[in-house]
Amino acid sequence: MQQNPYIPITMKLVKNLVETEDKLINTFTLEFLNKQDEENFKYMPGQFAELSAYGHGEAPFGIATSPTEPGILKFSVAKVGCVSNALHLMEEGTMVGVRGPMGNYYPIEEFKGKNLVIIGGGFAFTTLRSLAKYMLDPKHRGDYGDITVIYGARNPGLLLYKEELAEWENNPNINLVTTIDRPAEGWNKHVGFIPSITEQIAPSSVNTYAVVCGPPAMIKFTLPVLEKLNFPPERIYTSLEMRMKCGLGICGRCNIGTEYVCKDGPVFSMAQLKELPSEY
Amino acid sequence: MNKIISDIRETARQLLADGKVDVVIGYEKGSLPLKATPCFVHSAQEVDSLIWDETCENNLAAFVAKTPGKKAIVAKGCDSRALVVLLQENQLVRDDLYIIGVSCHGVIDQRKIGAEVGEILEASITDGKISVKGMEGDKEYLFAEVKDATCQTCRYPNPVIEDLHLGELIQVSQDVAAFADVAAMENKSESERQEYFKEQMSKCIRCYACRNACPLCYCQECFVDCNSPRWLTGGVDRAENLLFQAGRVLHLAGRCVDCGACSRACLQGVDIRALNRKMTKDVYEMYNHESGISEEGKPALNVYSANDPEEQFLVKE
Amino acid sequence: MKISKEKFGQALDALIAEYQIIAPVSDANGIAFKGVKSFSEVKQDYLNSKLPPKAFFFPQHEKLMSYKKEGKDVTVKSELKVENTVLFGIRPCDAKGMQLLDMVFKNDQYTDPYYYERREKAVIIGVACQKIAPTCFCSSFGISPAGSEGSDLFLIDLGDSYDVEVITEKGKALAARFEALSELTADEQALVEKVKRAETTSKVDVSTTTSKLDKMFNSPYWDSLQEKCIGCNVCSFSCPTCHCFDISEEVRKNEGTRVRTWDGCMAPLFTLHGSGHNPRDHKKARWRQRMMHKFNYFVHNNGSMSCVGCGRCIKSCPVNMDIRQVIDGANKAELVVE
Repeated sequence: MQQNPYIPITMKLVKNLVETEDKLINTFTLEFLNKQDEENFKYMPGQFAELSAYGHGEAPFGIATSPTEPGILKFSVAKVGCVSNALHLMEEGTMVGVRGPMGNYYPIEEFKGKNLVIIGGGFAFTTLRSLAKYMLDPKHRGDYGDITVIYGARNPGLLLYKEELAEWENNPNINLVTTIDRPAEGWNKHVGFIPSITEQIAPSSVNTYAVVCGPPAMIKFTLPVLEKLNFPPERIYTSLEMRMKCGLGICGRCNIGTEYVCKDGPVFSMAQLKELPSEY
Repeated sequence: MNKIISDIRETARQLLADGKVDVVIGYEKGSLPLKATPCFVHSAQEVDSLIWDETCENNLAAFVAKTPGKKAIVAKGCDSRALVVLLQENQLVRDDLYIIGVSCHGVIDQRKIGAEVGEILEASITDGKISVKGMEGDKEYLFAEVKDATCQTCRYPNPVIEDLHLGELIQVSQDVAAFADVAAMENKSESERQEYFKEQMSKCIRCYACRNACPLCYCQECFVDCNSPRWLTGGVDRAENLLFQAGRVLHLAGRCVDCGACSRACLQGVDIRALNRKMTKDVYEMYNHESGISEEGKPALNVYSANDPEEQFLVKE
Repeated sequence: MKISKEKFGQALDALIAEYQIIAPVSDANGIAFKGVKSFSEVKQDYLNSKLPPKAFFFPQHEKLMSYKKEGKDVTVKSELKVENTVLFGIRPCDAKGMQLLDMVFKNDQYTDPYYYERREKAVIIGVACQKIAPTCFCSSFGISPAGSEGSDLFLIDLGDSYDVEVITEKGKALAARFEALSELTADEQALVEKVKRAETTSKVDVSTTTSKLDKMFNSPYWDSLQEKCIGCNVCSFSCPTCHCFDISEEVRKNEGTRVRTWDGCMAPLFTLHGSGHNPRDHKKARWRQRMMHKFNYFVHNNGSMSCVGCGRCIKSCPVNMDIRQVIDGANKAELVVE
């Protein structure tokens, strides 16, 4: 019999890190309790999992780690509801439930031999981190061309993964551009909204894919820029969010037309989305 | 055609043609025998679908706040009382509302008919007689025999607030509210009552048709849907169902206009009104209050009075 | 082949030790499918149940798992419980409805064990409709009031006996336990033929509905359609093919259960994001979803419409939203040139 997809595996919260200065986003590092669980949890960048805060419920979150980082999973979660609040308050060492991996992933096979521009806004950077981390792995880096990351937040304190960003700054394998909305003291990098920064510094669209994740307004204004830069819709990918419960394409709430975001997504190309009703 | 219907149509035609309202909310013939259905008329050309008879059982006040623009509503007594409460609670703008008042002799209890004749194939109403052809047999009823239980105790068949009245006013004795049904329930032993409500609550499937049909259940987030804190589980058992129904009744204390829309909406035939009626009686006796009968008043529990009979409630100096 | 009702009843009663027997019974509230201890409790002359029999595979409220927290530790236990079940008296519309649910609970990637294990351990004994109500419109979907699709065994009531048709292997195994099967008389054969030819008097043309809906996402039709809907879930809860559910937590101190309960697309909270954004933030979008799901998306995903014409939603709707009129309205709606 197939394993019961409603029963989570148990993982240990080994680190509960306050990620942003507004203290609204924490990054949870979860550790697999045994090799078997880890073997069964084979995932790719872009997939998500349902986290259980026992006593409070379950909610879906994108996986921020890359499969190249063994033994753990990381999730960066904004404090918005019942489950995320409970997770934020959780002491290190507490056991949490994890169901997954769920959904599809960024088309890393299709990306092979291509340049990539990764554009992220705010805390939607989580699965983009997974993607960048995956491609930067020495085993995979040779498969891809230039990698550009454009990452913006309202202010410097709201950028996720600051240590990693610092490391990427000096890494010749990746071209990192960070930006904030308004000038701030001590900030000597880009200032401006993501769409205009993208327009200024995005690489040529020739042989290049774009992956865009962020708040709806950011996506709305970035897409026309990419179109102007001649990125065809087939080469622009995004990841969608939806209210989800089962994560298995059964409970019926996360569909956009015929597609269930939990099972057929969350990653869609703009070409696919153009064929679907605008109900997301 | 009956005069009230032609008057409703003519009024609607005028209001729409003159641009006084964007929509007229009334009733049209439904797809099932003895069933009218709410209808939203947006243009003067469509007014001929409007009807008025003993099958117009929905409380249209439930639609008013949710319908955008200026609107006219066909209101019977109980609809108008609900409008009054909604106005008292600042849920409606009076100037955006034109009330076409109609006097109501009561609506038909289809469930009672269906239980006797099976699914209804055909029905006609003439001169206070209802002839029904059902899957299990045919039957003729006097209107009084199949009048909805709510309507049998109705003291406000005429609208209490209106911009225009159509039809003749109905005379009712305006003495005191009668609560024989509640008294009968109160006279039962505690265990009998417990048994009765156990059975009633076991039927509820929590589809929330009662809540949504109620003109006065308009909370943006109903307590049953709230998840922090979570007052109710998703469980559909007697205890949880009673918590829902009792919670709803308490929220309606001093506000319920006893229109019976909740009971009529219930597929499962839960006697929701038994709870509402008890509350209505208590409010009537304790506060001398009937909801939605005059624009000046306030819902009973929205009023502070230094003469509050509940002494412990007040801080004495 | 036929079996006398007496012998059939005895055969069914003999199964009680191994199976829970679910059958139509008459209670104060109408007809309901319930567990019975003897065939004598079964209501034989009935139209159909008020609520669909889907609850025996997909209960309105069921425990998925339970857990116990101790300090920082937790132990988790599956609550999957399955019994051998015989469902007797299932009407053709509902039997077909179960086949449609099968497609939902087993998709291209996942199988729902709670639904499927019950489904696999259940035998469906369908019984042809003796009467057809004015709200029945199953013939619109190619289902017949005497259709055996979805049943394991199919019976036609012949008065004192049943005509028995074996449909599946499961049905065959069960029929092997019946004794005294005999041939039909010529009159009975004629009656069976007559019952099989029956159609519903109410029908709605759905031949062009799916392709029409392909072009109707932005139609103004949805604006007028939704006006009178009060947004309750009674249509979904009384539907044999509606399957949406919620998952929530029931907690008492350190112990809890994760449960699933019926949910419905008419509830605003159904799609509300944690951020406050709601992709279906208006009744209009929710009605469109209901129609599209049943008559378009489901067809594209599973090759069949997700409505069986049982008429329950028509009878249960407090404001008389009649799905037949809604389909018809969509068929006739003018298309907007975009």
